[in-house]
Amino acid sequence: MIVPRRDYWSIHPSSVYQAFETSENGLSEQEAQRRLRTYGHNELPRPRFSGVRVLLRQFRNLMVVILIACAIIAGFFAELKQSIMILSMIALSVILGFYNEYKAEKIVVDLRQNVSIKAVVTRDGKPSEIDSRLLVPGDVVSVYVGDIVPSDMRVVHSKDLQVNEAVLTGESFPVEKTSNLLDIEGQPAPQQLTNYLFMGTVVVHGDGRGVVVSTGKNTEFGAISRSLARSHPETEFQKGVKMYGKMLLTLTFVLAIGIFSLNAIIGRSLIDALLFALAVAIGLVPELMPAIVTISLSTGAQRMAKVKTIVKRLVSIEDFGNMDILCTDKTGTLTEGKIVLEDYSTLHEIKDPRIITYSLLCNAAVVGERISGNPMDAAIWQYAIEKGEVESTKPYIKIDEMPFYYQRRMMSVVVRKDGELTIIAKGAPESVLSKCTHAEMMGKSEPISTDISLSIHDKFLDLSQQGYRSIAVAYRSIESKTSYSVEDERDLALLGFLVFTDPPKKDANQAVTKLKEMGVDVKILTGDNELVARKICDDLKIPVKRVVGGSELTEMSSTQIKAAVEETTIFARITPEQKLDIIKALKANGHVVGFMGDGVNDAPALYEADVGTSVDTAVDVSKEAADIVLLEKDLLVLANGIEEGRKIFGNTTKYILMGTSSNFGNMFSAAAASVFLPFLPMLPMQILFMNLLYDVANMTLPTDNVDEEYTRWPKGWDIGFVRKFTLFFGPFSSLYDFLTYGIMLFIFGAYVATPSATALFQSGWFVESFWTEVLVIFVIRTRRIPFLSSRPGKWLTVLTLSCVAFGTIVPFTILGNFLGFTPLPVDYWILLILMVATYLLLVDAGKVFFYKICKF
Amino acid sequence: MQYLDLFIWWAITISGGIAFLILVSIYLYANSRTKRKESRTTTNRVKLGKDFVFVWVLIGLLAFYIVSVNIRSPVIFASGNIIVEAILIVYLVKNRHEKSEQTPRPRSQ
Repeated sequence: MIVPRRDYWSIHPSSVYQAFETSENGLSEQEAQRRLRTYGHNELPRPRFSGVRVLLRQFRNLMVVILIACAIIAGFFAELKQSIMILSMIALSVILGFYNEYKAEKIVVDLRQNVSIKAVVTRDGKPSEIDSRLLVPGDVVSVYVGDIVPSDMRVVHSKDLQVNEAVLTGESFPVEKTSNLLDIEGQPAPQQLTNYLFMGTVVVHGDGRGVVVSTGKNTEFGAISRSLARSHPETEFQKGVKMYGKMLLTLTFVLAIGIFSLNAIIGRSLIDALLFALAVAIGLVPELMPAIVTISLSTGAQRMAKVKTIVKRLVSIEDFGNMDILCTDKTGTLTEGKIVLEDYSTLHEIKDPRIITYSLLCNAAVVGERISGNPMDAAIWQYAIEKGEVESTKPYIKIDEMPFYYQRRMMSVVVRKDGELTIIAKGAPESVLSKCTHAEMMGKSEPISTDISLSIHDKFLDLSQQGYRSIAVAYRSIESKTSYSVEDERDLALLGFLVFTDPPKKDANQAVTKLKEMGVDVKILTGDNELVARKICDDLKIPVKRVVGGSELTEMSSTQIKAAVEETTIFARITPEQKLDIIKALKANGHVVGFMGDGVNDAPALYEADVGTSVDTAVDVSKEAADIVLLEKDLLVLANGIEEGRKIFGNTTKYILMGTSSNFGNMFSAAAASVFLPFLPMLPMQILFMNLLYDVANMTLPTDNVDEEYTRWPKGWDIGFVRKFTLFFGPFSSLYDFLTYGIMLFIFGAYVATPSATALFQSGWFVESFWTEVLVIFVIRTRRIPFLSSRPGKWLTVLTLSCVAFGTIVPFTILGNFLGFTPLPVDYWILLILMVATYLLLVDAGKVFFYKICKF
Repeated sequence: MQYLDLFIWWAITISGGIAFLILVSIYLYANSRTKRKESRTTTNRVKLGKDFVFVWVLIGLLAFYIVSVNIRSPVIFASGNIIVEAILIVYLVKNRHEKSEQTPRPRSQ
């Protein structure tokens, strides 16, 4: 058994072999099998997709729990019909929710294809390619350009090895890796370990060999995914629905107890009183709310899929729309995520074409169908191809090459043109400059004086302060020899320099502006340095209020962080843990926070944010942690998704507002009437039937149009507003219920309380109550003038009017007879039409008054 | 229950409903003024009267409904409703302006 230690970076490669009881020949196949049994497969544990889990999740909803309780109580008192009706409502809600969530999760599972990664491993002295899941600690693995590092390894040999660790550290430029010992005290950050290769990172240049030091969940990659092995934090929307459920529960409880007590006091039978109280209680609960919410979310998810946004967790859609802060990394969202040659020039800003020609000749990129290799060399080729400057290299013949080495950070070539030999060197400015004795000034080669040296240094300093990466190009004539070496890299003349950048995305400015207009503030959380991040913001004209670095953030107290996050636009050089702190602070300040990232280091933040957004091309661990997966890493795609999210939230809110207020009004009037009427104003079955019909009418609400002003700003869940709305609009409905009582009792003579008069009363109230409850949808769904300045959705109009028609004819049918209704006289219908018209106008007038004083 | 008793109970219930609605309106109005930190000195009786036109309409409606139901005449009830609708349409035309339909930005950013 190997005793694990963490400091393999500080010991010699031979000691690493020793520590893992291995050698340059690798492990024996037998030993590898033994270790595989001990350490397990080199893979990360993944949560399994389970249909049962999705089904059970549907019951974790307060509304469903209330309804189940009501069904049990009704069943207990032998009211089987009522119990079955309630259970049918629950079943409908659960089935709809399950179907939609299952379908949505399946899409994401399909999206997450399991591609196995191969690794070249040396065992029994022979290299062979195996499935990377079979790697064990002590295996000797070789990596080449384009490979994804299959596990955490200590480098024992390297040749120009460069690795892109962006997925782990957020740094978009490649990092050089060697087998050199490191003298680091304490626990180093991954980016400090230049003799380590980390699982999931990509080899972009050179090759190397390493000894596997940890596999699977013990890797850095695994440590990050382990931190995600907890349940998703509750979204703001879920919290809101929970609060709403509690409010309803309290209201229902108080009203039910009150009705039961009053009816018992006035001498009604206890069973009758209880069943009536129960029916009123059920009437208060918007039974189909879970289903409506799920339909709303899943139809929205389908619409979002059309705008390249895959929703992984449906409940996050509402928060997606309500998000008011978006934290994003820089690479790939604001920038193209690839290095390009931005510019080249001599010291005097002259665009000398030789700089490009020489850097194409002195270049290690592999040019085939696609250009691969060192990203900077590849960028030079890309530039030359685009500008048609490749031809300039044709007169040259390459004689020799001194390749790039990490120690000297430069490469050189000897070329011949027209019989003349030239040595060209290209590399890190400080390395190239150390080999220069001259500099080309206005076409003439001049010795580097103190002034020239200063101006060269100023130039490079200025470029790096602007967030650019630069490399220098130098040359000199050289005599013909049989072979050349690095010793010939001397007395060079500095020709100029090449400037590289990860350029801003063309549409990033438009996207940031759109987000700003939508009330979403963008904050940049990057592992890159401040200068690079600031330059991108300058290029994109994103106003930067404040920049906070990782080290500054470390020294802040949580109170200071809470204050700093409000005014900071860029957080530079930050660790994954700090990303988490920033998101937590923003959430604590009351914001709905979105986070967009695609690297392994982004996964904890994706998990913590109210809405974690990743991209299809992201590493699996990020997609796993995200709520929403974009098929394109583009802020505009994100902005479109937010707009869709707001529409969904808008329609869900409409249902809640209308349902609560009209149900509250109806049930309040039923409760009041039960006290002074000699009979029940409506039978429990009639109440349940009306609720079911009302919910059917609302089924198409998720497809309703949403007014433009509603999607303009993010809206948080405001339970106070729901309460006010219910208190204000509920009594309107009660008022017209009372008026109907008056008409039925005194104009149509139901006060005599005979069975036929009672049926007439109940039928009259059922129709009035249903008409007002359903038709008010058209008034309340908008702040504007209904139909004239805000048209309802086509399906909402069709279904609502169909339900009204059905409710109107029910008293004339067998079903109506079964439910205890009776046909109504013509006079009543005339009065009803006028009364409902007055009601709708009064609610519209109330709306003007209400929105003047209550903002939402 | 006798007809008269029933009518009195009904009149009390509908009056109670309207009273409740008026009280909620006053509460919401006062609440919004507190939030906007409007001092008492800025209260203008004319403005207050205008703001509460809606409440006056409610009180008028109450009186009309009680009287028309008491008379037990469908014709009076129907014609009264038509008049009320006309009043409400005038109120809506006069009071509905764009500003009341705009959504304010909820958080300072």
